[in-house]
Amino acid sequence: MNNPASRFWRTLLLTSWVVASLGIAGVAGAAEEALPSLSYDRTGERLIKAQANQLFKSTDRGETWQELPLPEAVKEGQWVTASVPATAEQTLYIAGPSIGVQRSTDHGKTWQELDEDLPSENVIALATHRQQAETLYAVIADDGLYQSEDAGTTWKKMDSGPAQPVRRLVHSDMEGSMQTGWLYAVSDDAVRLSMDCFCGWRPTGELDAGRVYDVAYDLDAPERVYVATEQGLWRSDNGGQEWQSVTGDSPALVALAHSPAGTLYGLNREGELLRSDDRGQTWTPPDA
Amino acid sequence: MLRRWFLATTWLLLSAAGQAMAEGSPSSSDTSRLEEGESIYQQYCASCHGRQGEGMPNWERQNAQGELPAPPHGPEGHTWKHSDAMLYRIVAEGWRDPWNKTERLTMPAFEDALAPAEIRSVVNYLKTLWTPEQRRHQAEESEGAPFPTQSE
Repeated sequence: MNNPASRFWRTLLLTSWVVASLGIAGVAGAAEEALPSLSYDRTGERLIKAQANQLFKSTDRGETWQELPLPEAVKEGQWVTASVPATAEQTLYIAGPSIGVQRSTDHGKTWQELDEDLPSENVIALATHRQQAETLYAVIADDGLYQSEDAGTTWKKMDSGPAQPVRRLVHSDMEGSMQTGWLYAVSDDAVRLSMDCFCGWRPTGELDAGRVYDVAYDLDAPERVYVATEQGLWRSDNGGQEWQSVTGDSPALVALAHSPAGTLYGLNREGELLRSDDRGQTWTPPDA
Repeated sequence: MLRRWFLATTWLLLSAAGQAMAEGSPSSSDTSRLEEGESIYQQYCASCHGRQGEGMPNWERQNAQGELPAPPHGPEGHTWKHSDAMLYRIVAEGWRDPWNKTERLTMPAFEDALAPAEIRSVVNYLKTLWTPEQRRHQAEESEGAPFPTQSE
């Protein structure tokens, strides 16, 4: 993995992905901005932040952050997301366009590649099932959505995915699905939703808010969903059928996560954490 | 004319069953059950899902009543993504999309009209409308979620 040839190909892959993203999504600018991402580990009661190819955890609601070790190959690659299964303590997954899917069960000391059974390392989004610790979902660019039910050992293609490139994927246990839940797929233009039996992607309600960055839902009331957009925070009280702009002092957020205690967390473009205990109306920094 | 149609239909069902058997699916290998399944389909399902399983027009979008129309059952639809257990349940208990604006079951419940074996037959008939790859996918999904045992 660390020889010069593999570094060259990784760099080439990364460049190709950025170029492809620019072409497909029509993002303005010379290069795609790598946005930070945020997830909440319910088992370990910690926040996980991925930013600028670094991984951090916080166990005190974001007041302090500790960097988690990553393999050199991952640091040199491009990765986009970290995800923590609901019931598998200490298990952490990361994924990205040049690193595939990787797992650590020892706080980042060692990492295991999980893409042997995937057709490509070009993973652009990853999600863990809300209730099933060993069920994962990975989106492969220009291919589709793969599911693993054995913690990444084997994968099966389930769907071609939405037509637009997926930036974020979130599993929800909101009621009403034919199977076990739903998947929210965030693309630049919209949030789409499918039951996790993959019987069709449906657009969520009208959301005329510019670029869409991330989605999160209330863990105690999954039908309450939040979306971070170019034009601020939006909320739905019916799973995304209708959206309403959250008025207040909503800052410009690009990543969201919700804790079981009812706190909504957000990251701004610089990766700075803010939190809200009133459904996004007001936001404060962790040390406030 | 009717006899020719009957022979052609029988040949198609036997071909599909033979192909499916070669691939290890569907779970019922009884071609007479498939014929029964097609007959049930034409009697109970075709009026909404189409005689050839083509579904209603614009089935992916809510209609004027705010309901999702009946989907197709062929390769272009998503029936093949559901396990035997799920398909059985949908036929038996009915279904409405949770985002529909009405409360009625747009897919009616047939458990009072069809015997368990008849529900199995009609689901197995639907499998003849899928591609071999889709049949394989659905068979794998059904490994952990087969038809309910009381339907045997």
